[in-house]
Amino acid sequence: MVANRGEIARRVFRTCRRMGLRTVAVHTDLDAEAPHVREADAALRVESYLDVEEMVAAAVAAGADAVHPGYGFLSERAAFATALEAAGVTLVGPTAAVMEQMGRKDAARELAVAAGVPVVPAYDLDDDPASWTFPVLVKAAAGGGGKGMRVVRSADGLAEAVAAARREAASAFGDDTLLVERYVERGRHVEVQVVGDTHGTVIHLGERDCSPQRRHQKVLEEAPAPTLDEATRQQVRQSAVDLAAHVGYTGAGTVELLLDADSGDFYFLEMNTRLQVEHPVTEMVTGLDLVELQLRVAAGEPLPVRQDDVRLTGHAIEARVYAEDAYAGFLPQAGTATHVRWPEGPGVRVDHALESGQVVSTAYDPMLGKVVAHGRDRAQARQRLVEALDGTAVLGLTTNAGFLRALAASEEFADAAVDTAWLDRHELPAPDPGEARRLAAWAAYDAGRTPSGPWRSDGFRLGGPPAEPVVHLDEPVRLAGPAPAGVVARVTDDHVEVVAHGQRFDFPRPDPFADPVAVAGDGTVLAPMPGTVLDVRVAEGDQVGAGQVLGVMEAMKMELSLTADVAGTVDLVGAAAGDRVQLGAVLFRVVPDE
Amino acid sequence: MRDLVDQLRERLARVRQGGSERARAKHTARGKLLVRDRVDGLLDPGSPFLELSPLAAYGMYADGDDHAVPSAGIVTGIGTVHGRPVLVVANDATVKGGTYYPMTVKKHLRAQEVARAHRLPCVYLVDSGGAFLPMQDDVFPDRDHFGRIFFHQANLSAQGIPQLAAVMGSCTAGGAYVPAMSDETVIVRDQGTIFLGGPPLVKAATGEVVTAEELGGGEVHARTSGVVDHLADDDAHALRILRSVVDTLPRSAPPHAEPVVEPVEDPAGLYDVVPTDSRTPYDVREVIRRVVDASRFHEFKPLYAETLVTGFARIWGHEVGIVANNGILFSESARKGAHFVQLCNQRGIPLVFLQNISGFMVGKEYENAGIARDGAKLVTAVACSVVPKYTVVIGGSFGAGNYGMCGRAYDPRFLWMWPNARISVMGGEQAASVLATVAGREDDEDFKAPIRAQYEEQGSPYYSTARLWDDGVIDPADTRRVLGMALSLDTEPAPPPSYGVFRM
Repeated sequence: MVANRGEIARRVFRTCRRMGLRTVAVHTDLDAEAPHVREADAALRVESYLDVEEMVAAAVAAGADAVHPGYGFLSERAAFATALEAAGVTLVGPTAAVMEQMGRKDAARELAVAAGVPVVPAYDLDDDPASWTFPVLVKAAAGGGGKGMRVVRSADGLAEAVAAARREAASAFGDDTLLVERYVERGRHVEVQVVGDTHGTVIHLGERDCSPQRRHQKVLEEAPAPTLDEATRQQVRQSAVDLAAHVGYTGAGTVELLLDADSGDFYFLEMNTRLQVEHPVTEMVTGLDLVELQLRVAAGEPLPVRQDDVRLTGHAIEARVYAEDAYAGFLPQAGTATHVRWPEGPGVRVDHALESGQVVSTAYDPMLGKVVAHGRDRAQARQRLVEALDGTAVLGLTTNAGFLRALAASEEFADAAVDTAWLDRHELPAPDPGEARRLAAWAAYDAGRTPSGPWRSDGFRLGGPPAEPVVHLDEPVRLAGPAPAGVVARVTDDHVEVVAHGQRFDFPRPDPFADPVAVAGDGTVLAPMPGTVLDVRVAEGDQVGAGQVLGVMEAMKMELSLTADVAGTVDLVGAAAGDRVQLGAVLFRVVPDE
Repeated sequence: MRDLVDQLRERLARVRQGGSERARAKHTARGKLLVRDRVDGLLDPGSPFLELSPLAAYGMYADGDDHAVPSAGIVTGIGTVHGRPVLVVANDATVKGGTYYPMTVKKHLRAQEVARAHRLPCVYLVDSGGAFLPMQDDVFPDRDHFGRIFFHQANLSAQGIPQLAAVMGSCTAGGAYVPAMSDETVIVRDQGTIFLGGPPLVKAATGEVVTAEELGGGEVHARTSGVVDHLADDDAHALRILRSVVDTLPRSAPPHAEPVVEPVEDPAGLYDVVPTDSRTPYDVREVIRRVVDASRFHEFKPLYAETLVTGFARIWGHEVGIVANNGILFSESARKGAHFVQLCNQRGIPLVFLQNISGFMVGKEYENAGIARDGAKLVTAVACSVVPKYTVVIGGSFGAGNYGMCGRAYDPRFLWMWPNARISVMGGEQAASVLATVAGREDDEDFKAPIRAQYEEQGSPYYSTARLWDDGVIDPADTRRVLGMALSLDTEPAPPPSYGVFRM
């Protein structure tokens, strides 16, 4: 059983199927129709993916031998591991004890020190901050994912940051213990994939670099790490193996390290006791199936590969596609994905759980899928990733694919110069809508054109060059040259939605009747019918807004509101309450604001 | 032929610019679109436009300036709006303020005729100062003068053919009736005006001083007078409103067409197979093969009366009967033609005439055998045809041959000319000789030369198209396309054929 949803559930099922294992999915009501449910041999409904008791009961009810927790949800919850063990179901992961240790950052740090792995210099909150080296990072002991984290640059801001981090930590993790450590200004996030079996073997599968992050959330991940010299690389890998061996780690885990880009020093950050979102890059360079290794270890088998067997080939980069508007504060997006096209191509792998017509809600993690590209070297992998993201298209809601594409194509990423805080310091320029507008115009033209026959839309003119089609969107677009191929667009009467280089754009089409052109706009309000003025609500000299009711009159047994058509100053009030007025009498005049 | 086509293209390119550079600059400075941009904006993006007589008034109205009144100051033609063909009539205000010359009127009326025959909704893009006053005697009073425009509008509307107008400039005096008589009308604010008498005339008549906008601007007509139905911000907005109006009109099904197969022979090959001198004989089947689907021609009576080729073919999937000259007409050619025309009428198949005729055979033997009788049969059959007829003058169009081969007088739906075509009652040489003989000056070159020169000038396809004797001079390579466009338009079911007395 996979105690998870989305792409990771599908990912695990894929290996299970290959290994001939029967699969069970769980789902909430919201996910009843989700792809991961369809792909499993059986499916059970649960109230929540976060309820330990319910999940264990489901595993027992399904008769599952083992539970793969995926990532997120219960994957690093020691209580879950304990409860499964008590129910006689194997967890695909390390023991509850290791999980517990590694789940607490303070405990993990002590283990790292004990295993001889360098750690970031830490400070005690009770010490005098004057003795610290700023900047420092205040973070939740129980946390992850950037919650409860604060960078503090001087002693002045400390108290406030601590209070805020405590509040966040308490609400996110139910534990407000905080740690303070040296903050590395230009850091690279390097992590090592390790696997241990129950027979005492621990090996590493190379490292990954996940430095491109925004607000501590990984954006692009690659293997191997591009900036390490050979000596550091070996040190980093060995440290990770040492730590895993020290705690008797079983299954797949990741040792995350912070690499100081300036000094080349590295420090232990934390260990993730589960499969990582970005595990595909490791799979692509090693040719190994990490889920298979996990399952074999869980079944008590010895690791089928030795350290010497592990060979890294080429380079792989992963991009996480999220339902968020990267150019509007990374605001989460929801809606129906009316059209979804995932890329294909040599060296391209896509792990996703989003199909055309699927509803994306904000109830769960907004990650829609991962686009991974492998190449013989970093340049080729990057080139393939850019092309793959060009081919990624989701209509109906905005994704960050365009942002990922721009980042992957940027000079800074090409130079491996994007450190962990780079995206928080720099803003990628918003995509130019020009190309998208051209594609949208072609799509609109295509949708309305007459494809064949003597009246086909080829712009035929007698004895002259054909007329170039002009399509009106938010601005007129003259279509010249050959029609673009493979445009993903949705054309309706009012809008053209299109994806260009992964970025979704929505262009309005002019509606001749949308604009209330019938408004004179000169501020004069005339009696629309002969009748009686019931009420005058403004006086000369009053400031009024457009649409404000200036007075009311009655005519033909109907009350009519007299409204200002422009914002401005009342210049004239032409009638008083009770007056009988003729059709067209000037009742009010508003002098528009300059 | 290529030189002739290049010349045609040059002339078309010139008239498509419209009025003088100064007039155009002044026009666009007011935020107005040029007339052909208006047409393009009305039509679907990429719509074809079957322009009618773009070279109308060519060489007329000014000595030494062939382009004094380009396109007669009015653009007419057929294009699609929301996929359905509509007929557009658009004044070009950069040409003498869009005023109506005699040819302007004739072109406007001709467009309405085309609309009637094909039940095409009419869209009038009005920007005209009314009649060209210096020529009022040739514009105003007669049956087919200015008033006929409104006569047509009323009757087209009565027949259920929508009449739509956008007032994009002035619409004075008689012109005011174009929007007023339309079914649905748009006006552009601060730009379009409609009044029977403009401010100067009002002042002269009653002493009232009034601005054009107060007298008949968009606000007035949209809010107060009710002369128009929609108020637009600018040209582009007005065109969008019109497009939306067209979209609300009921649709009719286009005529049935079989799947289209392109000709085996490239239509561009027409440049090489047709000699430009109409006296040089060639096989007209070479033309047919480059016009019809799959180059397939089911010939009727191929062995009989070989100077007239008749047969069935498809053009853009539409079944047609083709009548094509392949030499001068003899009695039996005329009888064969009459027979074939009757056949097409019997079967309801449209007729396409490929006209290249120097005339009926003359001489004692032929007259005595009654060639006039047989010619009359062909003329009767063509005149009384009830199926749609289309004529392309691909060479000479002389004398009674013009009649028998469905000249303008025989109401073809469209009549086009190739740039090598010649049209006159007889050849210039023959006319000079006849007149010289009548005058007793057979050998007098000084007498004959001016006659030859006159026929040379007046026989030109540009002389013809300037005067609306045809619907345009076309590139021979476009023949198939324009015939296809014409055949794809709606046609009413033909009544049963009936003929006058055939002289047997």
